Amino acid sequence: MAIHTGRGIASIEYPTGMNQNGDPSQAWIKVKPDGRVDVFSGTSDIGNGSKTIQTQIVADTIGVPYDWVTYDNSNTDSSPVCTGTFASRATFVAGKAVLKAAQRVRERILEVAGQEMEISPEDLEIDDGEVMAKGAPTKKLSVGDVAAAATWGHGELITGTGAQLNPYAAISDPTTGEVDGVPHAAISYAACAAEVEVNDETGEVRVVNLTQAYDVGKAINPALVEGQIEGGAIMGLGLGVLEDSYPYYPSAEHRGADFGSYYNPSSADLPELHNIIIENPSADGPYGAKGIGEMSNNAQPAAIATAVYDAVGVWVTELPITPERVLRALDARDAGGGPRREGKHVIFDEELSINTVGTGKTWTAEV
Amino acid sequence: MKAVGARLPRYDGVGHATGRTVYVDDVRVNGMLHVKALRSPYHHAAIKRLDTSRAEQMPGVAAIVTHADVPLLVYGHLSALGIPADEPLLGKEDVRYKGQPIAVVAAEDTDAAQAAVDAIDIEFEELPALFDMRKAFDADAPQIHHWGTIYPHFEGEMNVRQIRKGNVEQAFEQADRIIQGVYRPAAIEQMPLETQVGLSVPEPDGRFTIYSCTQALYFSMGVVAAHLQMPLNKFKFVGGTVGGGFGGKVDTATETLCTLLAQKSGRPVKWRWTREEEFLCSSTRAPWHMEIIDGVTSDGWILGRKMLTLHDSGGYARFSPYGVTKHSFHHTGAYTIPNLHFDGYVCFTNRVPTSAMRGYGVTSVSFAVETHMSRIAEELGVDPYELRLKNANRIGDTSPNGIRYMDPSTVDVLHAIAGATDTELAAPYSDATREMRSGEWLPGHLVGQLSHSEDH
Repeated sequence: MAIHTGRGIASIEYPTGMNQNGDPSQAWIKVKPDGRVDVFSGTSDIGNGSKTIQTQIVADTIGVPYDWVTYDNSNTDSSPVCTGTFASRATFVAGKAVLKAAQRVRERILEVAGQEMEISPEDLEIDDGEVMAKGAPTKKLSVGDVAAAATWGHGELITGTGAQLNPYAAISDPTTGEVDGVPHAAISYAACAAEVEVNDETGEVRVVNLTQAYDVGKAINPALVEGQIEGGAIMGLGLGVLEDSYPYYPSAEHRGADFGSYYNPSSADLPELHNIIIENPSADGPYGAKGIGEMSNNAQPAAIATAVYDAVGVWVTELPITPERVLRALDARDAGGGPRREGKHVIFDEELSINTVGTGKTWTAEV
Repeated sequence: MKAVGARLPRYDGVGHATGRTVYVDDVRVNGMLHVKALRSPYHHAAIKRLDTSRAEQMPGVAAIVTHADVPLLVYGHLSALGIPADEPLLGKEDVRYKGQPIAVVAAEDTDAAQAAVDAIDIEFEELPALFDMRKAFDADAPQIHHWGTIYPHFEGEMNVRQIRKGNVEQAFEQADRIIQGVYRPAAIEQMPLETQVGLSVPEPDGRFTIYSCTQALYFSMGVVAAHLQMPLNKFKFVGGTVGGGFGGKVDTATETLCTLLAQKSGRPVKWRWTREEEFLCSSTRAPWHMEIIDGVTSDGWILGRKMLTLHDSGGYARFSPYGVTKHSFHHTGAYTIPNLHFDGYVCFTNRVPTSAMRGYGVTSVSFAVETHMSRIAEELGVDPYELRLKNANRIGDTSPNGIRYMDPSTVDVLHAIAGATDTELAAPYSDATREMRSGEWLPGHLVGQLSHSEDH
């Protein structure tokens, strides 16, 4: 018995927003008489942190402290359309809707403040809840006083709406996949280096280190970005070595029906994690942000599969890489197995191919 | 202090950590009924008889809903995009997966509801089932879906999502090596701590307040409104805080049936799936089957790719055509390959329908492409970083469907992990940038695909 160490890398990309776009988000904001801000958005928070992210965006865009902002996504009577929390769209698409609404509110605050201060709105700025004359910061009025003036003096409600819709990109030629516009809001990038230990007697693969870099454009909240990176890494580890809804695939029998009989990662499986955040801003995202939510479980399985090859010299290309699959691959290797080589062709995994398993379709290098 | 860029604590974190956040199942309403479902015990069967009259007389039963009670029985996840739908809210003529709901009972408690489910008179005729998507093309494959075993409604009524770019035949002729592999990620569970749950409350003004664990309030409201054939102002969805959703909580699994039962009984109706139902009856991530054939040069340029993808959709289409289309747009991964021939199919089997899950359509292709890249590096004896940096997307390169990459960071993220793992890269790879290709980074096969336009 021996424990073999191996390393592997993977490098991936992932789109922000629904594929082909066409997925609107809307928001509206109102300001209370003391300057406190209420945001209404329809974005469900599934643990991705969109309540926090959108609140941060609104606070800075208006120019008020974070804890002045209340975020309400609780119901469809008060909140406008959000297509939903999926497709890594909440920070970018829904975030841009609240950003636009906050810009309108900021404009309204400046208009009312301008009348109160008898200064043109273009010569005013807002920071930390204070409206100030540009270049003369002692001339100031708090946003609370501005809101009070709007409410009791001007008889107005300071409010703003915003909507984001990246236009739908239709497939204009279904034979080539050509599209008539940009089919994503942005693209994010990541790379993962995995280190594994493989036990050649039991076949067990243990992931010991995942070093990962993510370009998220701008980390609106680095702690939440790290949460996505680490949570995704563990999900990717599960995909790579543990989880299977159909352990006797293709049979649909003997499925795990509870936490005790379905094999998923637990704290005992946690590898060392090293996270790197890169900020190459996107042209259109709020503060340059791009999505990270989903892609964070995409790079690990390939990096792990490559590290397993590096450790023991076998490619396991059916997931998860279970002890049984590792041991069978080691047996096949010892029996002289490997790809078929024919001229310049190198053909792996023939036993898994539709050419072998099916009778109705073939897939070869002939075009 | 600026909020953007700050490590602020989660807005609702204290509530989650102290157990004070209110989730759907925490909401209790006076007079609330509870639901159990009659589900298919077979992977594929015809329904020969369905009679609920005895069950309706059981103690504590307030309402039973079957296919006959649904104003619009068949409405799909992609119907709002004008894509044909295939899945009935409740099984009518047949059932196509084990666990498919056929009838739901609302009763005073779950025991009474289950007793009534057990009293429903139903007769099945078991039919042959299909489980291996690689056999979906076989002439003798069991016919398990009224559209056949392959989804037929891609644009142009094609049964395949195609990408064609450049000339793969020529690329393979010019290649020094043609490397072929098969990649098969498994289905996995969504496994949220909060199982599928909904509560529908009929209000005195004729509206319904629907407490929902959906990831998409307006999408799910649209689904309920369509099935009930009612306008949106008849519903108020309450939610926005989800106890774990990774794609599966877009399915709108309980809300419509709770509302139909609430309408029929005139009482609030809650349906919380058991842990076993969540595991066995909710949608999983799809199993995928991918075959990649790459023509490469000895020094590691990828000249062309021919790829086959099969996506196991289970018994109904749900979001699968969307997933395969997204997959096709990203089948070159973080690299620029100018000659492409991609065919992707949505295959029906008798599994629980698969649906969206974190990384939808692309998690699969990332595994396939990156494992294949590692194999190519190994076969050619080329450093795995160098192979990737060479072919990495750069500004001005174009995607499989001809879209210009504006701000690709493949080079940056590879440099970052190399640095963090003390991996020395040789020149020119250590100096590579994401800037537009020129000189040694612009071999002949990549010239034609470049886009100089700033438009997109």
